[in-house]
Amino acid sequence: MKCEIIVDGITVYFNSSKILENIKFEVNKGEMLGIIGPNGAGKTTLLKCIARSIIPKGRIIIFGKPIDEYTNSEYSKIVSALLPNWPIGFNMKVYEVVLMGCRNRTESLWWEKEEDIKSTEEFLKLLKVYHLYDRDFTTLSSGEQRRVLIAKSLVQRTDIILLDEPIAYLDLKYRIEIMEILKSLSKNGKIVIITAHEIDLASSYCDKIIVLNNGKIVAMGRPRDIINEKLIYDVYGINATIKWFENYPIIIPKRDIKREDCYV
Amino acid sequence: MLRLAKQRKVRLLFFSFFLFILLFISFLFSLMIGSFPLSPMEVFENLINPEKNKTISTIIFNYRLPRALFTMITGFSLGVSGGVIQSLTRNPLADPYITGMSSGAALGAAIAFLLPNISIYFIPFFAFIGGISSILLTIFLAKKAKAGPIGFILAGIAIGTLASAILIFIITLAQEKAHGIIYWIYGSFSTSKWSDIIVTFPIVLFCSIFLFINARDLNILLLGEEHASQLGINARRLWILMLLISSLCVSSCVAFSGIIGFIGLIAPHMIRLMISSDNRFVLPLGGLTGAFLLLVSDNIVKSYINPFGEMPISTITSMIGVPFFIYLLMKKGGKYEM
Repeated sequence: MKCEIIVDGITVYFNSSKILENIKFEVNKGEMLGIIGPNGAGKTTLLKCIARSIIPKGRIIIFGKPIDEYTNSEYSKIVSALLPNWPIGFNMKVYEVVLMGCRNRTESLWWEKEEDIKSTEEFLKLLKVYHLYDRDFTTLSSGEQRRVLIAKSLVQRTDIILLDEPIAYLDLKYRIEIMEILKSLSKNGKIVIITAHEIDLASSYCDKIIVLNNGKIVAMGRPRDIINEKLIYDVYGINATIKWFENYPIIIPKRDIKREDCYV
Repeated sequence: MLRLAKQRKVRLLFFSFFLFILLFISFLFSLMIGSFPLSPMEVFENLINPEKNKTISTIIFNYRLPRALFTMITGFSLGVSGGVIQSLTRNPLADPYITGMSSGAALGAAIAFLLPNISIYFIPFFAFIGGISSILLTIFLAKKAKAGPIGFILAGIAIGTLASAILIFIITLAQEKAHGIIYWIYGSFSTSKWSDIIVTFPIVLFCSIFLFINARDLNILLLGEEHASQLGINARRLWILMLLISSLCVSSCVAFSGIIGFIGLIAPHMIRLMISSDNRFVLPLGGLTGAFLLLVSDNIVKSYINPFGEMPISTITSMIGVPFFIYLLMKKGGKYEM
């Protein structure tokens, strides 16, 4: 089977330190891929490489073409990305932020088309932030901002959706809801790649998990096959027991941190 | 929300219309006000039939009309470019004056005027070189110093002051032509001629159309290069192009009007505070507001003439602009990144 995304041995240096080293993986159509790993493992960097905001050594091929051969406008029609450090100045309204996502499709430079406004409405409703549409973006809570930004990514209607920690800052209900939305998108033939710290939710929704540590892939495969106690110890240095409920793992850490480790 | 989107178009038309009316009223006033006051009737009669009274016609067509039109063109270009520069630098305190662009442009134009036998059409080019190098130097200094939005303003003031100092130095050296150039430091429209309009109008028209067309992408540039590129914009190219065009727009006017402070700061912010932060509103309406504010300021200048001449127009614009600048500094100063 021909793969839609082929990451072929990419390496990223930042000020002579290696952030990512020889990363290789493939993603097929309709797959949801989760990238997990401790802080500083290189998850976001990997996502940025696919989003073309970092140019790595090595090749990334999307739909049979190396990514540097696409123009900005072509690329924005196939890949959307929610990247960190979202800057907003001059008090933009929520719907203005989401409408920006339509920029990749429209050639009309001045006003958005009616269909763009309708799809903005649709995604604001899907992410349960429609009631906030006329509010200033900066006045929202972190969780609300996150949902607005996810709506902005989805409104681009691309085949590949990259999301950096989409469920961070969200409460339990919205975590599940957003994972459900992403899962249904991937079932409809989109490729969804997320990074997450929530191993349990990522494992239960993603078809494939990549575990990164110190810029290297330490495990890759179906969550049920790779998430185990040894992996958690190797990657996070935590002794934990893992209980599986169908495909949902519950990770119970052993509380063996010594007092003197806590109070330096 | 669909309704809201439609309302926005109506609002844009409504406010444009409203500002046009304000502008037209102050335009009529500007034809009446001066050292030789005219009544509204005299103005109308002579506009329709210039042969009626030769003296009045000369006053209107040779002095007041070109002056009013050129003031509006300059105000418009300052308002539009101010909005663009604020968005490009993501700094609410930026404007052509504070970033040193106007002073640089005036310096460039002054050098051009001192060259022997130079055609008037080359002067905007010299001003443009001066303006663009000043703002690039300011941006470079602020980036190097990593000083944030306030550092950017300080760098702009430094560059602007330096350019003004060199300007005064040159004026003093070139004694015989000094009288006209002295006006550049605080701006004046008392010597505006039809030729100024013929040179600047096409440039301002071209620049404004370019900037308006790209207003929507300018909104997206506010997100920074990374996010903007990801939405399909060639962010770096657009950023450079918009900076070049906006400084061409301002520089060509400054070449003939002199350094005018704060209009480029106030006009776009008035639109942001009252209507919307969307650049599709801010640029055209900010331009009209700039034209209106500058024309009103010039009318005030014309109303108070003492035997030694008019006061410079920056006297009025600064008196309005500085309190507004302080307000923005208190309210928004540290909030935004460069």
